[in-house]
Amino acid sequence: MRVVHYLNQFFAGVGGEDAAGTGPELRDGPVGPGRKLAALLGDEHEIVATAVCGDDHAATHADFAAALVEQARARGAELLIAGPAFTSGRYGLACARIATAAAEAGLPALAAMHPDNPGLAEAAGTSVIESAETARGMGPSLERLAAAARKVASGEELSIQDGRVGPVPRANRMAERSAAVRAVDLVVARLGGDREATEIPLPAFDQVTPAAPIADPADALLALLTEGGFVPVGNPDRLESARATKWIRHSLDGHDSAEAGTFESVHGGFSTQWANAEPNRILPLDAARELEREGAIGGLHNEYFATTGNGTTVADARRFGVEWAAELRQAGIQAAILTAT
Amino acid sequence: MGATTQREGSGGGLRRLVHEVRELALGEQTSYASGRLTVSLQAARALVADPALAAVRLACAAPDELVRIVGALDAVQPCTKGPGGGGVFPGFVGPALPPGRGETHVLRGAAVLAAGYLPRAQEAVIDMSGPAAPLSPLATTQNLVIEFERADGASWEDVEAALRRGLLRVAVHLADAALEAEPDAVEVLPEPDAGPAGLPRVAVVTNLQTQGKFKDVFVYGRSMSGGLPTVISPNELDDGAVVSGQYGHPALKNPTYLHQTHPVVAALRARDDLCLAALVLCPEPVEQGAKELVSAHAARLCAGLGIDAAILTKEGGGNADADVALKMDLLEEEGIAAVGIFAEMAGRDGTGPPLVVAPTRATAMVSVGNYDERLSLPACERALGRDRVALLDRPATDALELPAAAIYSALSPLGWGRLTCHEAA
Amino acid sequence: MSIALRVGAPRIVPTRGIPYPTGDPELSPEQERAWRRQLLERALHAVATPVSEPTVFGGDPVE
Repeated sequence: MRVVHYLNQFFAGVGGEDAAGTGPELRDGPVGPGRKLAALLGDEHEIVATAVCGDDHAATHADFAAALVEQARARGAELLIAGPAFTSGRYGLACARIATAAAEAGLPALAAMHPDNPGLAEAAGTSVIESAETARGMGPSLERLAAAARKVASGEELSIQDGRVGPVPRANRMAERSAAVRAVDLVVARLGGDREATEIPLPAFDQVTPAAPIADPADALLALLTEGGFVPVGNPDRLESARATKWIRHSLDGHDSAEAGTFESVHGGFSTQWANAEPNRILPLDAARELEREGAIGGLHNEYFATTGNGTTVADARRFGVEWAAELRQAGIQAAILTAT
Repeated sequence: MGATTQREGSGGGLRRLVHEVRELALGEQTSYASGRLTVSLQAARALVADPALAAVRLACAAPDELVRIVGALDAVQPCTKGPGGGGVFPGFVGPALPPGRGETHVLRGAAVLAAGYLPRAQEAVIDMSGPAAPLSPLATTQNLVIEFERADGASWEDVEAALRRGLLRVAVHLADAALEAEPDAVEVLPEPDAGPAGLPRVAVVTNLQTQGKFKDVFVYGRSMSGGLPTVISPNELDDGAVVSGQYGHPALKNPTYLHQTHPVVAALRARDDLCLAALVLCPEPVEQGAKELVSAHAARLCAGLGIDAAILTKEGGGNADADVALKMDLLEEEGIAAVGIFAEMAGRDGTGPPLVVAPTRATAMVSVGNYDERLSLPACERALGRDRVALLDRPATDALELPAAAIYSALSPLGWGRLTCHEAA
Repeated sequence: MSIALRVGAPRIVPTRGIPYPTGDPELSPEQERAWRRQLLERALHAVATPVSEPTVFGGDPVE
């Protein structure tokens, strides 16, 4: 098979975080760890091209994946392999997105990352193979990935044995007995001491690696963020009141306070009367400006980001978080305060 | 109307006289004989008639017919304790007093439904045949369907109240036709606690939606909104103590019919190794503080009743998950094993997180299936209720692609259905 | 707040009400602004503090 391999800017040798903003490009043949991958794939398969994109660019440009997939197909790609992304969140997200975009375009694809990678949640519709936690485990990760890729190339299904991780689709089926009868059975099981029996697995608690503390707030650039549906009055960007699929940004230039009549909340999950009477109750701009004037912080970012946290899907919320982090880093922000409703 | 309920000293218990219905047709007179129920169009129309309703029509829909009911609202099982009702549907037909003792006649295999447009009512579909039929309890019954229009100048609240009254009155009227018939079965329902000592005591905790207009559920004719949990005898359900006025979330709908025939209560009654100890009814507040109070109080009630395990049912979508999850955790804290019945909202391809709010300590959950999975419904011959499916903007008799979410009671958390989820490949 | 802990937010500052996370309508406007400023100061303290797991930087009896 003709394979296209996706890597981020670091593994492609473009650069580190400084190069995270580089845009998508397609290069000939295998690059970096792709060479080892090519060797493991064997003679029947050839990495004809390597797709590369900077992690920040990928996180902030929804179209990067489609563009690369198109280029890959123009090169005759029959299989796309992304990663391994280990625990690198933006890279994992990019891998998930490009693999999904490929699958949607009819191009078989798989990605590799560690099970804790937040990108995993976005890998619906494509297969993800478990990788090591860090690049120290590149060797074994590539071996597993290559083995899985060979299976996909020969049309075989992947299973847990192959290292498959990530959202396993839950499908409807008709049981032998009604839910009511099964509930009574579960009671009997529980009373008998079985604490594991369940038809729905409990969602796992998320693991988030804390960012290192900032040295001195007086030097730091701070951003204000919110999921309180905080928008300019009239909601010009049409932020949804529930099941938000996007986030908005707006300038804070010239505002020393979140004035009633200038800003409002469109959050559909609570009564917005108190927020609209005093919008600083959602985005604490007046207090932040005070701290800025006094030098308690180095400066306040000239924009805020907002979404509506009301029935937002976990996948979308994760995506917003990764995108916000990328945007803020690019803007040189060191710390952010998110108000949650 | 107004017949006295029969009490036998201090004892309770209910005798359920079951009359099977195998055929339903419209005719001159309402009558019941040997499984065949005939409904007088005139009599039924007169019982539904109300200034708020115009153009009331009746139709029949039987299992296996190529009929689709679109915009199904509430469904009711015909029942009566005596001519005019004898106390059933307290607060609506009978006086607002606890029923559930003596004898009740039920027409098993029949249902009276209203179908049509109401604001805030998401279109609910029942296919009497085809792939969607096994998903709805109302595809297994001989249905008398009441269609209607709003009268000029009437408010929708008045329309909805009139429909409810009409449905319940017709349900009583139909059951009255069987009062003199020899029952096909007599089922004896003892009071909770009447079972042998030493069996594990299991409570059913049923949450009822209480979100106001068109999203409310009535107990003795009153909303539980703003109130605290209460305990009633499960036998009161047979007599229509709980009546639904909730029309959102078609697949999650618990119509009056399912409250009357409460599948979890029935499943517990069927076991002789467990004791059905209590039925706890709870409102589902929207506000977090009230959710916590109602849940904590329900857990205390169960602890006070010496409950060993509880099965929880809910009404509504993700918001209602929170009420179940809270109760499950609090019950486990009291040392009571908790099992919750949940619908999953895992997205079209089933890979999203199944629940909006899951319990953190309790783990035993029953799945009634993925709400979002799509179904292909074939074209049908006849449609009742509405002639277009607004969701797809197509004629109601067309072949339709719909999510399980649109099929009436397909994922009812009262547990009637066999739909569930499993991990695919 | 239980949700914040569950999703693993490393630094959490509790506030008083869902409809007004950085406010308190019970207070007079001046008191409310002062309280809001204190809240932000607590937030700044949190981002300047090393943490290894979800940590609540509290002080207010809340929720």
